[in-house]
Amino acid sequence: MPEKEKIFLHQFTLLVIIFTIGSTVLVTPSGLSRVARQDAWMVVILATSVAMMFVWIYNSLGKRFPEMTLVEYSEQILGKWLGKIVSLLFISYFFLLASLLVREIGDFMTTQIMPETPIHAIHAIFVFIMVMGVRYGLETFARAAEIFFPWILGFILFLSFALVPEIDLQRMEPILERGIKPILQASFPMLGLPFLELVVFLMILPAIQQTKKAAKAFYIGTLIGGSVLLLVTLMTVFVLGPALATNQMYPSYVLAKKVNIGGFLQRVEAIMAGIWFMTIYFKVTICFFATALGLAQIFKMQDFRFMVFPLGMILVPLSLIISPNIVYFNTLLRDIWTPYSLTYGLFLPLLLLVVAAIRKQKSK
Amino acid sequence: MGFFVIIGILILSIVVSIVEIPRLRKQNQKKELWLFSFLLLLAVGMGVSVTFHVNLPNPFDTITAIYKPLNDVIQKGLQ
Repeated sequence: MPEKEKIFLHQFTLLVIIFTIGSTVLVTPSGLSRVARQDAWMVVILATSVAMMFVWIYNSLGKRFPEMTLVEYSEQILGKWLGKIVSLLFISYFFLLASLLVREIGDFMTTQIMPETPIHAIHAIFVFIMVMGVRYGLETFARAAEIFFPWILGFILFLSFALVPEIDLQRMEPILERGIKPILQASFPMLGLPFLELVVFLMILPAIQQTKKAAKAFYIGTLIGGSVLLLVTLMTVFVLGPALATNQMYPSYVLAKKVNIGGFLQRVEAIMAGIWFMTIYFKVTICFFATALGLAQIFKMQDFRFMVFPLGMILVPLSLIISPNIVYFNTLLRDIWTPYSLTYGLFLPLLLLVVAAIRKQKSK
Repeated sequence: MGFFVIIGILILSIVVSIVEIPRLRKQNQKKELWLFSFLLLLAVGMGVSVTFHVNLPNPFDTITAIYKPLNDVIQKGLQ
């Protein structure tokens, strides 16, 4: 394994939390309340519970091969060529996910904050910072996550407390107005964004120092991430109401605009944007790291750092190609992303697990 | 505008090559050198085409074509 770096257990937990919050916190509440209306918060609970089953699959794979990454053991389980093909598919998934996330930042910046800046410039700058992070290595950005996490959590809690005066509990009623069906329907897209994407952590699991305890850390991280999402969705429903939440592209950003403490503390939406930049930065970096590390391991190379810059230079144009406009992007996230993620987040890991169990393979 | 972007992409790729290639050659890593050159060429090609508004194929068009039927089936099942 070319990557000899080690991260601590708590750093891994923080990365999982940030990964779960990243991008979801801004985009998802709108989609949830579109279908489930005022019951959007129940969707988050349901989706998080289902996500625990996915994490169970990832953990079982991780326990079976504690010292190998996804790319390494898929080659061992499925044989040389089939394994390499499956690994390449996984890497394409990680890379496309990274490009989608970069595009999300570009779309958000150009529609909400800096409408006259060309989207290319925002992408290029963001990808450059990310490339720096990956070149410094996993250890470095895991430590950065440790530094930024208190800020992320603090900002989210601050926003929630500042919005307490605006809460209107009646917006939550009637509960289960149209039965359980809309909740099931709305939870389906939420499985794809963010929970099935957690499969990317199979590339990082072997880098943890106490691999045996990683399973618990993975569960806890997902649970805390889900709780933060629950908090934000509850606030969206309580403060904005389902109608306004649905009409907005970024409801939690509008939510932050509502903060008004005594006519003194206002317009703190930049804080929400700040939380989002930090979380999505770590999310993109993890996906990009997994891409580079995976490519190096497929070709049995010692190091992956030399290809980080070219990959970053591919990522910028790719993030512009993948969606011609914002409607295409939203349809993609709503209708296509979850079935696509199911292949990589559920079907392929399950296949690997079953084949490994049948062939009785374990890490050598 | 497009002209300057192309110059920028070229300068960046030359700088990256100057940084990476001597190290790879010194350690005689042929495989790495090939992959690096391939990725860098791809990056420059994609960058130039996007700058000149050439319509490159969107990978998600293919993915949509594959997964749309599956999504329709699942959505029907949930309704």
